[in-house]
Amino acid sequence: MRDHFLNMTIFSLLVSVFFAFLTQSTNRNRLRVALVLCLSMIGISLMIAYIMFPFPLK
Amino acid sequence: MNQEEKKPEVNSEPAPPALRRRNPKEIAAACALAWAIPGAGHLYLGRRLAGAVFFAVVLITFSLGLFMGGKVYLIDRTQPLSYLATFSNLALGPLDLVGRESVYGRMVFRIPDDPKSQEAEELLQTVRDRIKLETYEYGTTYLLTASLMNILLILDVFDIGIGRKE
Repeated sequence: MRDHFLNMTIFSLLVSVFFAFLTQSTNRNRLRVALVLCLSMIGISLMIAYIMFPFPLK
Repeated sequence: MNQEEKKPEVNSEPAPPALRRRNPKEIAAACALAWAIPGAGHLYLGRRLAGAVFFAVVLITFSLGLFMGGKVYLIDRTQPLSYLATFSNLALGPLDLVGRESVYGRMVFRIPDDPKSQEAEELLQTVRDRIKLETYEYGTTYLLTASLMNILLILDVFDIGIGRKE
């Protein structure tokens, strides 16, 4: 479990499913919200990582 | 008159349960169950699927946190934020005790006031050893997330109980 991307994906999946079930009452909506949340979390994280890429580490 | 306007809408989704206020004992029991076992409060209120999913999600998150060497927080008088983090961990109910037992070897909730005592030294050494793990930050995040999820579940069960939520 030292893979950053795998960790992020698992975390996003768990949190998405949790909030989908917490906020929606029908299965169709739950699936839709879980997908949108999960993909948003992964996508935004990758975008932020890409923006931060040129920053110096020192 | 247009006949299409009269046609009733076909809705394949099951109707959400009606809002109703339950009696205080039932609400208290549901909240206590939600604290003791993640998802049990929802099961008690008749939401079987949601209860099962919540149980699985919180348990997986908590287990991953422990597996990755996350920190189960202890109250440290010199660090005020440790009170919040420990409170958050306690929201997991008996699962938190399992975490403390597996991390510290006993159910301990605070670092002794005397930092030079043997007990304090042992606890701090355990924490130092875990910090060295590469996955420590991830594990701690997973553990805190599992705890915060359970707090939200307890609040959700309360809202359903008082009829504020479907």
